[in-house]
Amino acid sequence: MIQREKQKLKVLLRKKMLELAYNSNSHYPHIGSCLSCIDILIQTIIFEMGKKDKFILSKGHASLALYVVLNYLKKIPNTQLATYFKDNTQFGVHTPSTLPKDIPLATGSLGHGLSFSAGLAKAYKLLNKNSFPRVFCLMSDGECNEGAVWEAALFASQHKLNNLIVLIDKNGFQATGRTRDILGDAASVDKWRAFGFYVQSVDGHNLFDVEKALKKTQKNKFKPAVLICKTSRGKGVALIEDKLTSNYLHLTPEIYKKALEDIERLI
Amino acid sequence: MRYSFAETLLSIAKKDKHVTLLTGDLGFNLFEPIQAELKDRYINAGVAEHNMITMAAGMAYAGFQPWVYSIAPFVTIKVLEELRNDICLSNRDVKIVGLGGGFDYAIAGPTHHMLNDVALMTSLPHMKVFVPGSSQDIAPMVLRMHEGKGPAYLRLTKAEKLTVSFTNYSACRKVIGGNKLTVIVLGSILNRALPAISGFKRKPDLFLVTEIPFSLPKSLIGSIMRTKKVLVIEEHVDIGGLGHYISSILHAKALKINSFDHLFAKGYISKHNGSRDFYLKENGLDKESITKTVKSLL
Repeated sequence: MIQREKQKLKVLLRKKMLELAYNSNSHYPHIGSCLSCIDILIQTIIFEMGKKDKFILSKGHASLALYVVLNYLKKIPNTQLATYFKDNTQFGVHTPSTLPKDIPLATGSLGHGLSFSAGLAKAYKLLNKNSFPRVFCLMSDGECNEGAVWEAALFASQHKLNNLIVLIDKNGFQATGRTRDILGDAASVDKWRAFGFYVQSVDGHNLFDVEKALKKTQKNKFKPAVLICKTSRGKGVALIEDKLTSNYLHLTPEIYKKALEDIERLI
Repeated sequence: MRYSFAETLLSIAKKDKHVTLLTGDLGFNLFEPIQAELKDRYINAGVAEHNMITMAAGMAYAGFQPWVYSIAPFVTIKVLEELRNDICLSNRDVKIVGLGGGFDYAIAGPTHHMLNDVALMTSLPHMKVFVPGSSQDIAPMVLRMHEGKGPAYLRLTKAEKLTVSFTNYSACRKVIGGNKLTVIVLGSILNRALPAISGFKRKPDLFLVTEIPFSLPKSLIGSIMRTKKVLVIEEHVDIGGLGHYISSILHAKALKINSFDHLFAKGYISKHNGSRDFYLKENGLDKESITKTVKSLL
């Protein structure tokens, strides 16, 4: 797909997320966080992953971003996606356990995804010594507060899980403030390098940048990889972009209308 | 008992290449033969239990059957959320093996004891709990765990090899036949209840429960209907243990009884440390205390 077509996806899927969030009539879909990681998901899931590769959304509160990507790939039908946030839906605010092929782990409690991904990456290597699927795990920078993340990082490094690719959506925020003001920058290059990872810093909204970095990880034979993706929470919606309020934004008709106009200007 | 476990798992792992063993840096002088046989399917996950449990979930997703081993509190209460979210919610085939149920770790102290694992684990979806009564139970139990696909928890203790032999393994077995009183014990406290009860000329019925959930066998229902007196003994807190389990079944089946007594772990009365027998005595679970209770009920 040519770069311009890919750029259009950034707009298309953002609009879909905004529509679903607006229809939920709630502040709860974590729209800011979804807007911050959607570009990483587009490049990774739609353009990078092979059929046997797996994607774990460890920051489960950004489920809406995963749902619209899987919907684009026809893994979630439109009729089912339309049930988002309604009674009797599979698609709540956090990822479900009912679609294990495409969503291997139900998340929402932070700090679980990397351990699951490390176990899966290790299992794939045990099953086949020569060629094995890759496991992509998206975390948020705030999530790196969790101790289990670093337990998993130690394991992945010790076991040379070069089929594990960690993607950190580094938007600089967590629920109630800037990450640097709460427990410091847990998604820093030096920390991940010290834990034995092959580290790259990229612009998490630049698909080409993410693409290049993902390709580079394939040459790495002995280390798990991490892409520290610099992003903005609420990316594309001026009212909330890089603002704390983005996490709990309730889309009123006025805000929704303005947000759709803003998104068009992303290309 | 842990040696029986290691031997049985080794024999299973030789035949089933999907069996893996994850240990939280424990098993010195125990797992060396397994390590030699399993090679890279033996994983020392380090002192990192949260990661170990969720990794096991990831390995199960790929088709393995991971067995996860540590001291009981470190693979139950410490990692309860990982068990719930990553294993039980999706009914994944992961086996949890906790060494040191009850006061088994003795003078190691309360941080190493596990008095509420049955309550915690049975409250999780799909989780089956196995509580061996003696080392003879281990082999059939581990085989059942291996065959049953889904999460299971094995509460290992140092429970001695018993000299008495009783009927083949099942989740609830009659150990002694008698009348006047129905005694039901959970797992390893059998080695204190059995000598206590053996001393009576007119013995009560003694049943051993080693799995929860389980269905009450006809022999147990018959005993309860005949004696109308039930005594449950367990090295576990009262809430969520065998006593609660039995009493809720009696209620559901509308079985009328005259008395229901329950000996259970109350905790740390003196706040001092000691042997398993020291704690059992403080909690009224030693041989003499059990004898006294049984005598008063006969």
